[in-house]
Amino acid sequence: MSYYFGRGNSRWIPYLLILPGMLLYFIVALGPSLATAVYSFTDATGITGGAVHWIGLENYREFLTMGMAARDNYAALLRTLKFCFFVSIIQFALGLFVAMLLNQRLKGTKFFRALFFMPVILGVTVISLIWMLFLYPLGGPVEKVVELFGSHLEFLGGQPNEAFACVIFIQIWANMGFTMVIFLAGLQTISDEVIEAARIDGASGWQVFRYVTWPLLTPSVNTNLVLNIIGSLQAWQLFLILIGYRNGTQVLGYVVYAQAFGQVSGSTTANSFRQGYGAAASIVLFVLVLVIGLTTDYFLRRREERLLA
Amino acid sequence: MRKLTFVLSVLILASLVLAACTPAAAPTEPPAPAAATSAPASSSGSEPTQAPAPTEPPAAADEPVTLRVLIHQNPPLVDFMTKFNEDFQAKYPNITVDMTVVNANDLSTTTQTRLSAGDIDVIDMFAFSNSAQPYMKNVTPPIWQTLIDAGQLMDLSDQPFVKNYDPAAIKDAGTYNGKVYEINLGRVGFSGIYYNKTLFEQYSVKVPTTWSELVAACQTFKDNDIPCMTAGGKDGWPIFVGAYGILGAAYPDQAALTQGLWEGTIKWNDDKSLDMWERMKVYAQDMMEPGASGIAGDAAPGRFASGAVAMFSGGTWYAAAIEATDPEMQWGYIPFPASDNPDDNKYMFGKYDQGWVVAANTPNKDASLKYLAEFSDPANYQTFANAVGFIPTQPGATLDTQIGKEVAPYLENFRIGYELYWVAPKGAGQYANPWASYFKPFGTFDDAKTLADQVQADLQAGLDANQ
Repeated sequence: MSYYFGRGNSRWIPYLLILPGMLLYFIVALGPSLATAVYSFTDATGITGGAVHWIGLENYREFLTMGMAARDNYAALLRTLKFCFFVSIIQFALGLFVAMLLNQRLKGTKFFRALFFMPVILGVTVISLIWMLFLYPLGGPVEKVVELFGSHLEFLGGQPNEAFACVIFIQIWANMGFTMVIFLAGLQTISDEVIEAARIDGASGWQVFRYVTWPLLTPSVNTNLVLNIIGSLQAWQLFLILIGYRNGTQVLGYVVYAQAFGQVSGSTTANSFRQGYGAAASIVLFVLVLVIGLTTDYFLRRREERLLA
Repeated sequence: MRKLTFVLSVLILASLVLAACTPAAAPTEPPAPAAATSAPASSSGSEPTQAPAPTEPPAAADEPVTLRVLIHQNPPLVDFMTKFNEDFQAKYPNITVDMTVVNANDLSTTTQTRLSAGDIDVIDMFAFSNSAQPYMKNVTPPIWQTLIDAGQLMDLSDQPFVKNYDPAAIKDAGTYNGKVYEINLGRVGFSGIYYNKTLFEQYSVKVPTTWSELVAACQTFKDNDIPCMTAGGKDGWPIFVGAYGILGAAYPDQAALTQGLWEGTIKWNDDKSLDMWERMKVYAQDMMEPGASGIAGDAAPGRFASGAVAMFSGGTWYAAAIEATDPEMQWGYIPFPASDNPDDNKYMFGKYDQGWVVAANTPNKDASLKYLAEFSDPANYQTFANAVGFIPTQPGATLDTQIGKEVAPYLENFRIGYELYWVAPKGAGQYANPWASYFKPFGTFDDAKTLADQVQADLQAGLDANQ
């Protein structure tokens, strides 16, 4: 007979040792997630003492099939995917490019590494306030530049596509430093000898990148892609502060918040808290993140095994 | 392995229970129909549940108390409250007022979270409105009603200071199920335009009383490189509120408008509405200055007071901020002239604005009621009304400021606006509202007919879904 963790009372010691950490995880992370799933079948308002009724799949029916609101929800879902696509791809490419640049042995690279990373340590509110000033449409710095070309843009308050593009740009600006740091860490694990050997064999700069650097960066590529995709699918706070709940700009995460906390009307009066409905929307978002996250992870792992096996 | 599974199952169950440990009723009953009430405030509905027990023992009359007050961002209000709090603390040395100021858009969320946390005593809450009407089906009750039903707000019916206020205002804006939960502090008009008298005189422009005159006035200013109109577009709702006069000229009875939309006798794409959309397009695209979308609601009065624009479409509550920015500025306030028939432009649309409510579970009940009683003292209330620019809800008070004089001629035609009646049917699309901000440059629409059809389709989808 085999024993996992010893015999007698001592076999409980490992369980006891991991108990605090497990409890913390279950209470802070898993518990609320499961509670959200339960709430999605109720008409909970989130107000303490308020009545809660079990309504089955009604929230899901409303979210996915009811009237034009369902059309708006699908549009928000599609917009979330668009946001994820552009942010992930551009942030990934820019992060890699900047990391390659700053991995050279040149003067000032440490300063620029700090500079590019700095937005990551700023909070969403600070980032938003900075860019609201930059993009102020009545004589803000960017507007001054646009005026030089005889044009005018409303930026964040303008047409939905214009505002949406601004948020994509700001999201990338805010997080590119993190992508860059992961790539830099990956680049620094590649030994100079490998690169040198490739060069002695006659490889050009592009060939060194394509056949040496890129395959050896696989762990960093995987980490960055997964983090970028999941992060951008869940990002919505920038939309809240920069744009507010405006037609044609909402992503799914913002729909969850706005429905749950009575922010959908654009008015200060006509609000209702619908946390059960918001919970159903968040489960839809969770499924989306799960499917995309797992699919991406599956293909990236296969690629990693193929390249690094 | 089975033991490990058992331990994990217990942990998951325990965490689920802990995470969902709000004191809510068991989710077993079928959903109750929304309460049917009179507009705009309610007078019937289900009985509120028993108020939760105070989280802390009540403070003795003279022991040190920190009174937690929540208000929304409005510079004249904040200035007044800061001074009022100083005077209140001087009168009651054992009470320290800890006032929090949040953006108006965040007031309801902050109210809910702080009430749930038992972390607030006195709250500035917008007047009770948007109640479900008998002709509405399957709508969600507004926040104030949910809070009362959950027993979160204190019944103020027997408090002596309630008698200081106009009974109609108390009934319309603060009563539910025959009990008073809010004392309403005043009405505001929001369908008017501020105009810069100096610029009007300088360019010999007559104060407009009809739509054609307004269009001509704007053209004159634009010809002289002066933007016609501004608004706090950054916050979204000021663009809508600014166009209220256009909606009001078309539909002066906005309770009937709400009912007509629900019952299908009025449509957002009928001829009358189409005319309204055409004017909203002119308002959004020709009258509003480029860049207005970047101006925050509380920054717009400053923009107007700087003299950079000729007009500012906004509510009466902005007057104090204009005066604070430039006390010497010569300005006037007129109802938005959205019709070519001056008789259609005589209405001032508005609402009951903020009021005070008290947390039912406050441990500082005595201090909270003293605070409201002190505020309701006629002398203090008079100062408040003048400072904030509210049309008073205390019978003896008057609005002695310039905005008071400006709106006085229109008060006999004061009407509660659509925003306070409307409740969207579930399933309605995001365009099911009469908002000028749907037009470019704020939105995507450039054609009034296309937008009108979209708005009606979005509304109709909700109405059909609830049949």
